[in-house]
Amino acid sequence: MTENDNQENMLAETAAGAEKTGNIKTESKKERVYELGLLLLSTISEENVPGVFGDIKELILSQGGEIISSEMPRLIHLAYVMEKTIENVKKKFDTAYFSWIKFQIQAGSLAGIKKQLSLNPEIIRFLLQKTVRENTLAPRKFNRSASMRYRGSSGSKEEKEESMPIDKEKIDEEIEALVTETA
Amino acid sequence: MKQDYFSANNIKYIDYKDVDILKRFINPSGKIMSRRRTGVTAKNQRKLAEAIKNARFLGLLPFVAK
Repeated sequence: MTENDNQENMLAETAAGAEKTGNIKTESKKERVYELGLLLLSTISEENVPGVFGDIKELILSQGGEIISSEMPRLIHLAYVMEKTIENVKKKFDTAYFSWIKFQIQAGSLAGIKKQLSLNPEIIRFLLQKTVRENTLAPRKFNRSASMRYRGSSGSKEEKEESMPIDKEKIDEEIEALVTETA
Repeated sequence: MKQDYFSANNIKYIDYKDVDILKRFINPSGKIMSRRRTGVTAKNQRKLAEAIKNARFLGLLPFVAK
């Protein structure tokens, strides 16, 4: 009797476990990783920039998103002049605060974020795209390796100069001569 | 024979924010270089073109350079 009860319990547990894993799978299927690149108005004062950026992050969190990584806004010179209509007046910008946020969210809630961002008066432009969780920025090793090579070559030259034959006796004699002169 | 830059440097994802890398693949007037000139594989050339176009949209690269 007790054995049967145990078996039943075991079966119930495994069934519950299967359900749980099923739920996780479906959730992970729906949730996707996105990256939001944005340009903020350069007219925002530097003190207020973190606040504006924080509001955008909160917008993502409020829609059920989870922030993976981000970069604080930094002022950049734009490659070309951009226009934005503010209060029915077209204004031109050649600088802007550029930043990006990588986040995970359910595919269905992305439309809400998109709408809110397009209505935000402090954003010049934004780019939403699918990406991967890993860091996609390539490591900056190219210039460093070149400098290392340069250093290496210069080091070898120094070594060559140092490796010239040195007569210890001559040096000793010179030192003694100097000592006697000073004395 | 030219080697694929991205495979040679073990770059898996071509990011639109990597402006220094993308600049290597545009000519002085800002146009995307052809595969014949870049020596990049067809798959990576497609990704590269997409990354350059995204960078242009966000003002990181020019559409036309003077």
